[in-house]
Amino acid sequence: MTPRTTLSRRALLGAAAGAGAAAALSGCGSGSTGSPSTTLQVWGGVPAANGPQELVDGFTAATGEQVTYTRFVNDDRGNLKVDTALQGGVDIDVYFTYAAQNMALRAGSGMALDLTDRVRADPELAPYLDTTAPRATMVDGRIVALATAREPHFLLFNESLREQAGIELPRAWTVDEFAATVRELAGPDRYGTYSVPDTARVSLGANYWYAPEGGSNFDDPAFLEWMQLGRSLIDDGAAYPWTEVLARQLEAYQQTPFLQGEFVVWPTAPFNLRYLNNAEDYPHDFLVAAAPTPTTARGDWNGGSFNNFIMINPRSTKIDLAWEFVRYWVTDGAGPMLGGGKIPALDVLPDEDVLAGVLGEEPEQWFDVESFRRTLFTDEPKLMTDTILSAVPEISLVSEQQRNLCWIGEKSPADAVASIDALADAAIRRYERQA
Amino acid sequence: MTLTPPLAPPAAPTPAPTTATRTGRGNPSLPKPWIGWAFLAPNLLGVLAFTLIPLLSVVGLSFTSWNLVSGLEGIEFVGLQNFLDLAVDPGFWNAALRTVVYAGISVPLTVLGGLGLALLLNGDVPGRAVLRVIFFLPYIVTVVAIGMVWLMILNPSAGLVNQTLAAFGLQDVPGWFASSHWALPALILIAIWSGVGYASMIYLSALSDAPTQLYEAAEVDGAGAWTRFRTITWPSLMPTTVFLLVTLFIGASQGFGLIALITAGGPGDATTVVSYYMYQNGFQFYRFGYAAAIGMATFVGVLALTVLTWRAQRGRTLHD
Repeated sequence: MTPRTTLSRRALLGAAAGAGAAAALSGCGSGSTGSPSTTLQVWGGVPAANGPQELVDGFTAATGEQVTYTRFVNDDRGNLKVDTALQGGVDIDVYFTYAAQNMALRAGSGMALDLTDRVRADPELAPYLDTTAPRATMVDGRIVALATAREPHFLLFNESLREQAGIELPRAWTVDEFAATVRELAGPDRYGTYSVPDTARVSLGANYWYAPEGGSNFDDPAFLEWMQLGRSLIDDGAAYPWTEVLARQLEAYQQTPFLQGEFVVWPTAPFNLRYLNNAEDYPHDFLVAAAPTPTTARGDWNGGSFNNFIMINPRSTKIDLAWEFVRYWVTDGAGPMLGGGKIPALDVLPDEDVLAGVLGEEPEQWFDVESFRRTLFTDEPKLMTDTILSAVPEISLVSEQQRNLCWIGEKSPADAVASIDALADAAIRRYERQA
Repeated sequence: MTLTPPLAPPAAPTPAPTTATRTGRGNPSLPKPWIGWAFLAPNLLGVLAFTLIPLLSVVGLSFTSWNLVSGLEGIEFVGLQNFLDLAVDPGFWNAALRTVVYAGISVPLTVLGGLGLALLLNGDVPGRAVLRVIFFLPYIVTVVAIGMVWLMILNPSAGLVNQTLAAFGLQDVPGWFASSHWALPALILIAIWSGVGYASMIYLSALSDAPTQLYEAAEVDGAGAWTRFRTITWPSLMPTTVFLLVTLFIGASQGFGLIALITAGGPGDATTVVSYYMYQNGFQFYRFGYAAAIGMATFVGVLALTVLTWRAQRGRTLHD
């Protein structure tokens, strides 16, 4: 009968719609909790082309195991995606943590496998057991993350402009000498420096935001000295005007004004060298030299740290393979990451190989190689790892906000530091209360 | 021979539909009710997954302390603590004040500008169609493009605006996004610029429905242009105005994209409005319970404003 035919068609369509919805729903969960693949899943923030893919290929060639590297953008949203994926049971075996605030949350929330016994059993990994200059993140005395990179800070010089000014390349210097030098380098069409190194960190070392007795440490004079130094150099025209930094959003694009010769000295770290040996994308016609971080009367910390922490998801079904991969990354496989400016955390490569790796092809064409050799290796920069991670994102934000207000000339250094101190103290107290 | 067919015998009275018939259970010729639900299911599931569940989750989360990474088992019920903290949080109240300033200035000016533009474009203006497109363009341009263009236009030293001001001899030009005093006004300026075209389009469509007979009667009575506007045009546009005010206020209270792109809430916290403060607490500090409480407080504020706006226009609308 005709009516039955019509009904049947509708029923078919209805069933199809229902089935589609059911399939869509089941699809929502299949990627996360279905049977995991035999391929090792690794999530990191470095673009695959900047080293990770070559490293992964090397691991596959060495072991025959398949690895998929997934890149996430290392910002707030990217890290939230990682956290959500880890909590949602997405098949992630190995992942990276870069910022202290993310480490604080992940390490303290059972999202990292205890690696202590595996590290202890491996003599080559003994440096990770060091607690004086730790290269590993520990929770309650247990290792949960291994640094894969060391990031010494240095100050890069535009050699053409430095030579024009007749200034010697510093080999060791104090903050006062740094200030005098950048004032001398400044001219009518250029600034001496982009910014000032974090001299409070140079003075105080690791955990410098936290007072030994608890609470904020921003009442230490080192912070006011740093704030004042930045403000006075900007007011004198020796440092890049912070209004321009904010208006042009230069914090994320510092290489552009450096390559255009707008300032002579650039306090930065090896990951930015990739802009300086790529004439095709970042054309420039001057050599770049490196100088060490200036020291203060109270300390000679480099300001850089061990970071780029690799961790194993405790929910991984391939923990042994994941550990094999982690071990490969921090030892035999570290070489390919040099191209992205990632110097291995362990001394697994000869210094000259590391130097060649971070400076890229034809280093003599773009760099004063000897100055980099001296700054990165001969001087043995004193690196650190923060171990107190209370309210890091809140303190980081208020510190940045008050620095901006001070350096654009709207707040005095003393008031800015006092505000940071009060807000940081409140954030630490709240964090500890909630913890 | 008859030209018309004989009348058909009266049909039997149609039986009153029974419940069983209405639902299809008693009549095999009608489709089963579940088929209708099956067709609706994809959409309903979408509403459930992306609207209802998140909405209810926010309400529930606002009474908890949760950092996401601790998992669902890490959710801790804290009662009204988040709201009590919010009540004494100067960061929240400062952000709320900025939101009121941002919305309170940008929305009325956008509506007024839209009305003026609509009245202008409703007349015999040469190139009217092209002008309408031009004014509407900012509304459909992506927020990233808008942000980048305005960053250049309002650059303190090399931007078009300050260069022009300097050309007129102004020495102390605004710092715009590099000044805590000027960053919020700059954002308000952009909000007005990008919203006026939209408001004018809505007004234009409302003007096309204006009661022509009243205008004719008013002209016969000798009413001037201002009297016609005040007594006919404005009352007839009242529902449109209320619609624009309510939707633009809601939009302004949720304004996030431009702020995240251009100022990130700064300099200092000069442009940290409530929506951005909520983002900071949720996605930077991982205080999701507190962020949900901020969301709830914002919801209550916007709801109160909407009700007030709605009540304020009652009795002022022109009824044909």
